[in-house]
Amino acid sequence: MLRPALLSLAVLASLAGCSKSEPPKPKVEPFAAASAAATDGVLLPAYTRWTDSDRQLADSARAFCAGEQDLAAARQAYLAAHTAWAALQPLAVGPLSEGNLAWQVQFWPDKKNLVARQVGALLDKTPQLKQADLEKASVVVQGLTAYEYLLFDEGIDLADLEQKRRYCPLLLTIGSHQQALAAKVLAAWLGDQGLAKQLKNFPNGRYTEGREAVAELLRVQVGAIDGLKKKLGTPLSRGSKAQPQPYQAEAWRSGASLALIDASLASAEALWRGGAGQNQGQGMRSLLGKEQADLVTRIDAAYAETRQRIAALGQPLTALLADEAGRASLDELYDSLDRLHRLHEGELAKALGIQLGFNAHDGD
Amino acid sequence: MLRRTFLGLGGALLAASALGGWTLGRGAGQAPLLLSARNDADGRHYAVGYRLDGSRQFAVAVAERCHDVVPHPTLPLALFVGRRPSRESYLIDTRDGRLLQTLASPADRHFYGHAVFHRGGEWLYSTENDTRDPGRGVIGVWRLDGERLLRSEELSSHGIGPHQLLWMPDGETLVVANGGIRTEADSREAMNLDAMEPSLVLLRRDGTLLSKEQLPARMNSVRHLAVASDGTVVSGQQYEGDPQDAVPLVAIKRPGQPFQAFPLDEAQRLAMHQYTASVAIHSELRLLAITAPRGNRLFIWDLDSGAVRLDEPLADCAGVAACAEGFVVSSGQSRCRLYDCREAKIRMQALELPAALWDNHLRLV
Repeated sequence: MLRPALLSLAVLASLAGCSKSEPPKPKVEPFAAASAAATDGVLLPAYTRWTDSDRQLADSARAFCAGEQDLAAARQAYLAAHTAWAALQPLAVGPLSEGNLAWQVQFWPDKKNLVARQVGALLDKTPQLKQADLEKASVVVQGLTAYEYLLFDEGIDLADLEQKRRYCPLLLTIGSHQQALAAKVLAAWLGDQGLAKQLKNFPNGRYTEGREAVAELLRVQVGAIDGLKKKLGTPLSRGSKAQPQPYQAEAWRSGASLALIDASLASAEALWRGGAGQNQGQGMRSLLGKEQADLVTRIDAAYAETRQRIAALGQPLTALLADEAGRASLDELYDSLDRLHRLHEGELAKALGIQLGFNAHDGD
Repeated sequence: MLRRTFLGLGGALLAASALGGWTLGRGAGQAPLLLSARNDADGRHYAVGYRLDGSRQFAVAVAERCHDVVPHPTLPLALFVGRRPSRESYLIDTRDGRLLQTLASPADRHFYGHAVFHRGGEWLYSTENDTRDPGRGVIGVWRLDGERLLRSEELSSHGIGPHQLLWMPDGETLVVANGGIRTEADSREAMNLDAMEPSLVLLRRDGTLLSKEQLPARMNSVRHLAVASDGTVVSGQQYEGDPQDAVPLVAIKRPGQPFQAFPLDEAQRLAMHQYTASVAIHSELRLLAITAPRGNRLFIWDLDSGAVRLDEPLADCAGVAACAEGFVVSSGQSRCRLYDCREAKIRMQALELPAALWDNHLRLV
């Protein structure tokens, strides 16, 4: 057994020995550099867009309920907020995945149509709904799922003034709740003790080195791609002989299911390829050497293929589920997502020398 | 390859400089030995022992994935207990990793992943499933004969699906976490989520039931335990019900008091994602540590006041055990860490052990 002092001498000696034959150590270790680039080029811009979209959502609720905005514009604000939220799924490291914040933004899967029942029950019990009432209410009614229900459900007609009066307090409070929640999350990213700093300066209380930060980014990215399989597979009744279940899809009322999957994929791809501007080309892709060129090509192709499939579908998910040809094209999309998932979980993780961990999903 | 080696050396340098602050005062100057189950990147299973300074004592391939490790109180051997529904456990010489015995569970029994040696070193007690009556909790009693464990008899766990068991400070009373879940042979699938019966049981070494207590939420599986030197028992739960339900994920039985919820801040309870893994108590510092791998979080509390001492993100955190300075924590994804808890401000240091792939529990000897 080497004593500590001897050990450090031995290490110094071997380091000195290395210096002649090896290239000089790069200024920033590659994993730390990749984590920093992803933070500035992909994560912070996406969190900022989400915060902006939720501010616009709150503004839209106020304008719509004051009669200064039409329903089409209100729906557009919702779609923008939900799209920005979907884009965060592969980037949900830190505060978003801690506690029950994600449930407060979106309640999915909603197997029993809880959103319809709980919205009705809440407004029957509290017609003059105040912000504090919503904060105390179930997560089912606090987020975008309830907001979408109000704007798109066939049983609600917001052109009818009486109904508008009934539902506007909930639109307004959800808008404010989402705006405050997004602002709180963004604040947790910024500042001296913020997550952005922890993804850029090592070691810290969260990550002891750049490799751990990249491992965390990859783990969340892989989990999100797996989640997209679930989002498509559940309404498809994939793996069972049951009928398709269009109402198990996320955002089925607004017909945005596939667009949301694509928004998530776009973020996953940005992590892989690197963000725009200054951080261009500094994605996880850049951590693979020349000997991994084949893997790089296959992951590039898998993203391109999957996203092209979505673009080619041309109809909302619920319409595609209704006939055999539509279901076949959705099955093909599922298989593309599955390939993309396995490339990341298996070959990419291995090529990066990253372990994705197993205690979280395979404990005892 | 070169880059990995180089990074490793850089890490070694850091660790070596930090080691200077360690209290290695263990006579021979050896750092504590960490025992754990671990995988390799291809998913093969190992029983491993590493000194906390990073030197490898042994890593021996085993057929079944193991769960807890039971060091012998005096001899250099340990039982690596098969994870449910394994029918094998491995008795290993901790000096060199020599496999002394592959312990087979009796017919119609499988291991549940936990066991304890009696302080005298002659007897071992393991939690097991009676697969003819799935879920009926059995405590297998084994006698150490030379370098072999022989089945002697069995006791009832007085509950369903027993998981971890430990000694009370008298060394004669067992505390058992009956998880309450029925599973069949060769299966990890719960059969009775609508009729779970978790419980915390105290029993004498001869099997006599001393007490059996339950928490209010029946789907809240009592799974892991730690016992302080004053007899305080803490349990960590895994909740099988709705993600939105508010249930006590940590519970405590202080001496002379009933088994009850350990008060948690709501933010912490939520951060656990309804799942706790390993529990450890530092009796001298009166601290409680729990890993919550689904929430990727490590917690340390003051055992007496319940005050939060540490609430820190740690990806896929796994085993935790008390050491002189505080706690050592392992992870399936990240590096192992040492938390020095002797000062008001807890200090973390990454250990120079192989990173990631560490399985659920660890023991220090």
